[in-house]
Amino acid sequence: MSQPADAGVAIHSAAVASLALERIVRSPASLVENLPIGIYTCDREGALVQYNRRAAELWGRAPALGDPVIRYCGAFTARDCKGNAVAAEDSPMARVLASGVPVRDCELRVERQDGTKVTILANVDPLFDEQGRLVGGVNCFQDISELVRMKDQMREGRRVARHVMEALPAAIYTTDAEGKLQYYNKAAERLWGFAPKIGEQFWCGSWKIYLPDGTFLPHDQCPMAVALKEKRALVGPEAVAERPDGTRVPFLPYPTPIFGSDGELVGGVNMLIDLSDQKHADAQQRGLIDELNHRVKNTLATIQSLAAQTLRGGDGEFEGRLLALSRVHDHLTRNAWEWADLSVIARATFAPLRGSANNHVRIDGPSVRLKPRVALAMGMVLHEMACNAMKYGALSTPAGAVTLSWRIEANKLHLDWREEGGPAAVVPKKRGFGTRLLERSIAHELGGRPAIAFLPTGVHCTMEIPLPE
Amino acid sequence: MSGVGASFLDRLSVLVVEDEAIISFLIEDMLTELGAADVRHAGTLAAALAQLDARLPDIAVLDVNLGGERVYPVAERLESAGIRFIFITGYGKSGMDPRWSARIVVQKPFNLETMAAALKDALSILPSP
Repeated sequence: MSQPADAGVAIHSAAVASLALERIVRSPASLVENLPIGIYTCDREGALVQYNRRAAELWGRAPALGDPVIRYCGAFTARDCKGNAVAAEDSPMARVLASGVPVRDCELRVERQDGTKVTILANVDPLFDEQGRLVGGVNCFQDISELVRMKDQMREGRRVARHVMEALPAAIYTTDAEGKLQYYNKAAERLWGFAPKIGEQFWCGSWKIYLPDGTFLPHDQCPMAVALKEKRALVGPEAVAERPDGTRVPFLPYPTPIFGSDGELVGGVNMLIDLSDQKHADAQQRGLIDELNHRVKNTLATIQSLAAQTLRGGDGEFEGRLLALSRVHDHLTRNAWEWADLSVIARATFAPLRGSANNHVRIDGPSVRLKPRVALAMGMVLHEMACNAMKYGALSTPAGAVTLSWRIEANKLHLDWREEGGPAAVVPKKRGFGTRLLERSIAHELGGRPAIAFLPTGVHCTMEIPLPE
Repeated sequence: MSGVGASFLDRLSVLVVEDEAIISFLIEDMLTELGAADVRHAGTLAAALAQLDARLPDIAVLDVNLGGERVYPVAERLESAGIRFIFITGYGKSGMDPRWSARIVVQKPFNLETMAAALKDALSILPSP
């Protein structure tokens, strides 16, 4: 046939075509030759007796009939689904000729001489004569390469999807349409705290489920059950999973029903977001706000007291005290309200001194990290002592000097304030704010031992303060 | 401050448990102004419990947070001894143990009027001993 097929159709009349078709149908040999599946027949010894055009196409060659070398199969090379070469003696045709039993749906990989490959599905039947003796076999085989490729693709798609689900940090599980657990990832196992049996648990893999208020929630009322029963995706509501070990995990579920191409419910997928970290962060933030509020309120009360004390004492030092308090706050803020350095506080105490007064102050001590309450108390006490020294003590005369020194011994701060060269110190007639603060702060608040001596050479004050770890 | 009903604490002894020295002055001075005869102070939980061992006051003013420690053990001792007390806190009721948050709580900062009202409340809640 040198003419294209459609040209032939155009030339023949309908009647002529009908006659030609009838000829083909009536002649079995012609019909077999034209079938779109490969067919071949072997005799009892496996020699090729007959094959059709499609068989030759699939083999990629046209072997000679009766060739004693090419037995059982016309293919150049055949492999099983694992890729192992199948010897002619192990081929489906050889097995049928040996056993007389048909072989059904045998998948084989045929490799042609030109290197191309094709996957075929073979069905081999034994042939018997009128007396029931085995005389040969017939193999019908067809090209299923495209089907196999699609199947592989689907399997690969599922494999990738599963890998993606495993890799996701969110807990994910799927159920069938009845809610039976079908799959869950590692994150889900971590959240549930155990590995529920596939196909045995329904609706959710959690051990037990509760509402945030602690009410027990039966599995068949959990969000996934609601989503599947109502056939709609949900966000939440929040719930709490209890693990077999008793620990509880708050989570937000995203149950989503899955529908087939025909619109039928086929299952569901649920993602559970672990809210533990968020709850923890919320609690931490609430704690920080409470702490800040507490600090602000305490500071306001402190300022209120400083104002009242100043009014009572009539020394007009409110502003200086407020600034002293503020300076310690600054140092603490710089260190996240964890500590302030005594050296920094001590130097800052004398910073407001003007002119040459600073030359009359000697500060000598190592860096010491003070906890906030110790730092605040020290800052206020040192401020009062510096004020008194300037007003009545060593710093009120050009010749006077203050030596402030400290050392740490056995986890205790030993501080020494010595005024010299100024007027003689006299015991004050009235207990002022400074004295009251020294006793109360150092002794009651910090559990330390203050001692103050009013000497002819000037004030000498020592403090021994335990440093909390 | 006679308008606040000064000297209604007449002849009463008061224990002030407050860790911050400067704030304790404010409380002490208010109590003195309200007529308290004897005001004692404790700056730590241990010191407060020791004070109770030595002598029981007529009424107590308790700061909730004592440098990280909670004052509740003192409140328990006072309660079992039938002694009235009020709490003072910078946290507000939400920051307190639910067991005690329904009690009389004074928020920092406070003025003489608030302190006086809270103490009067405390004195009228329980029957006189």
